[in-house]
Amino acid sequence: MRAIFSAVLTLAALAVGAMVFPTPPSVLAASTPSIAISVEHATPREIEETTQKSLARDYATAWQAMTESLDQNRADLISANFIGTASDKLTATIHEQTKAGLHQHITDQGHSVDAVFYSPEGSAIELHDTAHLQIDVMDGSKVVHSENATVHYVVLLTAAENSWKVRVLEAVPGF
Amino acid sequence: MTKGSIEVKVKFGGMMAIALLLMCCFAIATHAAEINVPATVPAGSGLTIPSSGSGSATLYVAGPGTAIKRTVQLGREIRLGADELQNAGRYVVSLDGNTATFFVTAGPVQSIAFLARPSRVPADTPNVITGTAFVFDKYQNLVLQPQPVKFELTANGQTTSRTETTKNGVAFAKLDSSKKQGPAQFVASSGPASVRRVVQEVASDPCSIRMTAVRDKNGILARTDPIHDCAGNPVSDGTIVTFTSTDAKGKSTVDARIRQGIAEAELPASNDATISVASGVVVGNEIQWRGGQ
Repeated sequence: MRAIFSAVLTLAALAVGAMVFPTPPSVLAASTPSIAISVEHATPREIEETTQKSLARDYATAWQAMTESLDQNRADLISANFIGTASDKLTATIHEQTKAGLHQHITDQGHSVDAVFYSPEGSAIELHDTAHLQIDVMDGSKVVHSENATVHYVVLLTAAENSWKVRVLEAVPGF
Repeated sequence: MTKGSIEVKVKFGGMMAIALLLMCCFAIATHAAEINVPATVPAGSGLTIPSSGSGSATLYVAGPGTAIKRTVQLGREIRLGADELQNAGRYVVSLDGNTATFFVTAGPVQSIAFLARPSRVPADTPNVITGTAFVFDKYQNLVLQPQPVKFELTANGQTTSRTETTKNGVAFAKLDSSKKQGPAQFVASSGPASVRRVVQEVASDPCSIRMTAVRDKNGILARTDPIHDCAGNPVSDGTIVTFTSTDAKGKSTVDARIRQGIAEAELPASNDATISVASGVVVGNEIQWRGGQ
């Protein structure tokens, strides 16, 4: 009787646990995400091919740095790719996560990016990014939220010494 | 143990198992209750989330600039403060295994990031000054709702202005430089926000060049009249003017800079030479130097 009760209880606990706390997928956060950039809609200035390539490279690197920094709560990883408001807000997120004992495991499944603005003097670019992400919000090793989400971002990048840096990264309900 | 008592115990055990499973299902159903949050929340306005049930639970909130873990009492309203929802973006709320998402949106325009290029432009040139304005709220969120931005260029008491509407948080304008050289105030404003830049308008290319030549103890001294652009502005000191003398011995060229509005050069002595002057694409008059005059 006790054995049956114990077995049922264990099975029930496992079933509930599996539903409430699913195991996060084990994917390397360090890999550079795939970025597909379309530049046909960029105005008022056209985006040259070399700029398009460097934009894709730098934006992918920025996402890689962000996912790693949010997973490891390391603000030192973002300075090379983020600047201004985006850097401040990301740093604040990491600070708050560290305080609360939380972190985010983001598996980046790719970005479909549309460049919508390229400033006349060539120092700022605005993007509309549709990102496919597996997001796990973790409390220590426990998953408290897990979702496979398509998230829309408005992104502003500015030209730095030899790369593009993310100045604004805002998720929006849609474009 | 009798057979009857075994049957009773097995039946009792089965009932217990069913009861336990029902309890689990009930618990899952309770957990599946939705968290009611609005789809969007204005930045810095806070949020109240109703909750049901009893006892305590852990609330998690993850968003831009925010990460909250807090024990809350179920059955009471849960309050997220204005300071916790300042940053525009996507937020995830998790409570007792239930989750919801919502977006914080930017508030009214409070500041502008203004790019004015170039810092030095030729006067009297169309569409040569560009201004790009990004509009932000007081929490440095990009304001994505269309907003009017006024671009105003004032030089020598004359003002040119244009109002553009932002799209995706940005507006831009191309303006003509004014006729006269001098510092121009370039201002972008939207709502209470205003940013000023100074654009130095300088004379553009020379409109025409006229020179004279006189005998000098070392050769021929060629000197221009004061050089102006087509709007009458004196061409900037430092601009290169090229003097060329061609005679039977060959060609001599001297590059001279404009100083105090004129340029001059000493050319080799010659009895029969053709002297010309040019600056950029503008060619000045030509002098036929005969017999030393």
